[in-house]
Amino acid sequence: MAKKGDMLYAWTNDSALAKKAECGGAVTELLKYALESKAVDAVLAVTRGFDLYDAVPVIVTNPKDLDNCAGSLHCGTLLLSKLVMEYAPQLAGKKVGMVVKGCDMMGLLELEKRKMVNLDNILMIGVNCGGSVSPVAARKKIREKFGVDPDKVTTEEIDKGQFIIEYEGGHKGIKMDDLEDEGYGRRSNCRRCKVKIPRQADLACGNWGVIGDKAGKATFVEVCSDKGAALLTKAIDAKKLSTEPANPKGIEIRAKTEKAMHKLGDKWRQRDFAALAPNLWGTIAEETGRCMKCYACIDNCPVCVTRPDKFEQPDLMVRAGFAPADPMFHLRRFAHISDSCINCGQCEENCPAEIPLALFSHAIRTEADKFFEPKLGKSSYTN
Amino acid sequence: MTVESKELKYVPTTCPYCGVGCALNLVVNNGKVVGVEPNKRSPVNEGKLCPKGMTCWEHVHSPDRLTKPKIKKNGKFVDATWDEAIDLIAKKFKEISDKHGPKALGFQSSCRTVNEDCYALQKFARCAFLTNNVDNCARICHGPSVAGLSLSFGSGAATNPFEDVLNADLIVMWGSNAFEAHPLAGRRVIQAKKRGIPIIVVDPRYSATARLADDWIQFNPSTHIALANSMMYWIIKEGLENKAFIAERTKGFDDLKAMVEKYADAEEIHGVPLEKVKDLARKYARAKNAVIIYCLGITELTTGTDNVRSMGNLSLLTGNVGRPGVGVNPLRGQNNVQGACDMGAYPNVYSGYQAVAVPENRAKMEKLWFLKEGSLPDWYGSTLTEQINEAGNPVKAMYFMGLNPVVSYPDSNHVMRQLEKLDFCVMQDIFWNESCEYADVVLPGTCFAEKDGTFTSGERRINRVRKAVDGPGEAKYDWEIIAMIAKKLGLKGFDWKTAEDVWDDLRACTPSMFGCTYEKLGKPESVHWPCPAVDHPGTPILHVGKFSAADGKGTMFGLEYREPAEVADAEYPFTLMTGRVIFHYHTRTQTGRAKQLHYEVPESYIQVNTLDAKKLGIKEGEKIKVSSRRGEIETLARISDDVAPGVTYMSMHFHKGANTLTNTALDPLSKMPELKHCAIKIEKIEGAK
Repeated sequence: MAKKGDMLYAWTNDSALAKKAECGGAVTELLKYALESKAVDAVLAVTRGFDLYDAVPVIVTNPKDLDNCAGSLHCGTLLLSKLVMEYAPQLAGKKVGMVVKGCDMMGLLELEKRKMVNLDNILMIGVNCGGSVSPVAARKKIREKFGVDPDKVTTEEIDKGQFIIEYEGGHKGIKMDDLEDEGYGRRSNCRRCKVKIPRQADLACGNWGVIGDKAGKATFVEVCSDKGAALLTKAIDAKKLSTEPANPKGIEIRAKTEKAMHKLGDKWRQRDFAALAPNLWGTIAEETGRCMKCYACIDNCPVCVTRPDKFEQPDLMVRAGFAPADPMFHLRRFAHISDSCINCGQCEENCPAEIPLALFSHAIRTEADKFFEPKLGKSSYTN
Repeated sequence: MTVESKELKYVPTTCPYCGVGCALNLVVNNGKVVGVEPNKRSPVNEGKLCPKGMTCWEHVHSPDRLTKPKIKKNGKFVDATWDEAIDLIAKKFKEISDKHGPKALGFQSSCRTVNEDCYALQKFARCAFLTNNVDNCARICHGPSVAGLSLSFGSGAATNPFEDVLNADLIVMWGSNAFEAHPLAGRRVIQAKKRGIPIIVVDPRYSATARLADDWIQFNPSTHIALANSMMYWIIKEGLENKAFIAERTKGFDDLKAMVEKYADAEEIHGVPLEKVKDLARKYARAKNAVIIYCLGITELTTGTDNVRSMGNLSLLTGNVGRPGVGVNPLRGQNNVQGACDMGAYPNVYSGYQAVAVPENRAKMEKLWFLKEGSLPDWYGSTLTEQINEAGNPVKAMYFMGLNPVVSYPDSNHVMRQLEKLDFCVMQDIFWNESCEYADVVLPGTCFAEKDGTFTSGERRINRVRKAVDGPGEAKYDWEIIAMIAKKLGLKGFDWKTAEDVWDDLRACTPSMFGCTYEKLGKPESVHWPCPAVDHPGTPILHVGKFSAADGKGTMFGLEYREPAEVADAEYPFTLMTGRVIFHYHTRTQTGRAKQLHYEVPESYIQVNTLDAKKLGIKEGEKIKVSSRRGEIETLARISDDVAPGVTYMSMHFHKGANTLTNTALDPLSKMPELKHCAIKIEKIEGAK
């Protein structure tokens, strides 16, 4: 009987899945079981598109299909939170299972504050995330820094501070720090992120802290909610999963890993924010002065909610038909998300004008959190 | 993909607007397109999109889509069956062809539709009616690039990929407002700027792109040749030309040198102070790797081909061709303007630029297309606007696929008068546009979201277009419609079942694209043609080591500056330049139906200089009367110093807008009409707000 606060090693009893999935396949098994047992009606999952650099979201209702969603894609820089509400209206009112990174989870929590999603209907299986690399950047890195044809790579992972690839004919790892100093690393928002273990999900899963004979064969599961505990208990009872208490040494290692990641996050914050501080207005004016009004920062932002009649009223300060956009275009967005930016990085990654938008809004929120009481209530996470 | 869901299906495809070829995911929910999501795996745009790309799905399920063939009966359009429409078209074209011969027909292909459609239309025109009167709308955007770059380098296409600007030490953007017209190519320039690569924008207007530049060179409209010649004079004078490159890889230096002697100081023509010209010349010549990016500011003039050759001259003189970080790159306008030309929807070449004048090429095509030996014509067919000019005599019947000539061709009143002279006219489109009134039959085609195929971008990358949903009503694939008419006429070689069949038909007769199989094109990186064999990696950079010309040399030309066909005078004292805005695409049949884009620019406007506005007593946003020798319109005034006194600017997107004023005079070499320069008069409308 699992309960909130438990820390376990878990692995699937399905040997075929274990082979296919990573680290014991517990995440895939839990979602399959959730579907089979009707704990959820559908799972919003991620599968490979063209190759392992391409992550594509899918809605799965057949548990078998989840086998094809197993395994991690560190080059998948998707954000799932907004997809639920935007593209799956028929899921409204139904129960949905999701695998969430820290940013996906934070996005859902923020949407709930705005009553855009009902978390009672969402089962969040959290996964640790040390950060992700945009697909094109990852391929460039593999070609230029690893000297390997990116099409020949079979798996990639981030482990123990290294970016590791397996390819036809070998495997290679390079320290993230070295890569990042040369501009080949994770997305800049990921570098500053401090939600590496998503503890506000129902279960927080990952491979950090799995040691001994279970290393590579089991998933570390931290039970974070009663909903998560119930699912895990039932899956064990149904003989889908096996578990054992996490090795105390492993728990310690996991905490250490998390702490190290936080330290790295602080280092990047120090670096990015300090560089921005002396000429904040000038930098924001210059950078946003290139905005071509594609609205990608707004459309892809999990905390931007726009009015349906926004294009039906005249606008004095953001003149229609003028590009680059007037300064108020971004000022009003920064104001709108000031105490809610989760630093997911979508605005910046999708910006065709290369404006470091996440840097600006993350800086605003981080500073505001230190000073103001948040308008929509305190968040259960800090980033 | 390994898992698919009906409720949330991502279909990776290519944006239907400009020639950058951005990838995007169409999101499909139960058979309907419900949005666009980033396709971050694409090496072209890494998921990023401009306002048009972001909204490109909004028109797909518009209730205004054409869903049934329509035939004009007693002056009114009535719904018809496909059988009726196809019968009528086959009958009419056959009759007219039999009676008046191959020069009585005109076929015009869009640059907005897939390669497969373009190939099908030109094959049909040539096989069914043995005519070369087939052209595409590249004629009115980058026709001079095809002509000019062919003369200079031996290939009419961009030399280097977009991303390659990051390898340059200097970027010169000449007559290109990439930020608005090719935003994701503009993004590469933004990236370059962030890395400290200097950007020089040469443009008469302080455009959104000029705002990004380290240096903006304002010059008088349409004086490119004078400015380039002056630069080259100083490059040679100061011994900055690349002597080794000139000796080894080029010819024509002496002609060029003799010509530019006259342009030591041409400030009177181009308006750029001499010291500034010298500085620009030195910067360009001294940069280790300098790239020229140009666009329609260069091409849409009666000197278009010579303007393009001037860019070629500059690069050859300084050895800036044939390696990373250099080159001469036209930013191709439409999503498939490169492809429409590549497919042979052109009056003097078959696909892959195989000239119709060469007997071996004709013999090969006759064999592959099941035609009688010696049947294909060797003459240069009528071009896009020549066909319009010839409407009535000798052109009696025309077939337009995906075009809106009434709005997009120069001198709209002339176009409308000419179309009325036709005996028979077919418009095949996705929406009822302003030109459909002039048709006898209107056929419903399918849009980019409803078909498989390929678009070839401005960097010669052949990007896949993938079907996301079915077309509306009875709409059909455009190549399928053409094949139906072909089969009705009893032609062989049109038994295609899929877009890939059409593509393979093209590959079989096109050596430069033979290696481009759908399998290879299916990868996000795709392939840049030329790619002659299946195991060939494609050719991102042209002219490495050797030019594509028959003798392997690049050619420099001594070119004289010529005035535009119509310049400002006492009666029409202002110069009108034309272009695009970021928010619309061409005649707005699609972008006008996207909420945000319509909100941004719902109607046409003209940019007027502050001093001129003051003199005329015109205020910002006021409705004013603008006229040329060809027509008059009313439009809103937008007042600023972005244009020089005496100079104005309008975008070309609106009916009863810029093209009511523009001039039909042609560039003798490429038949490009002078869309970017004419003389106008501006008048205040008393009592207007």
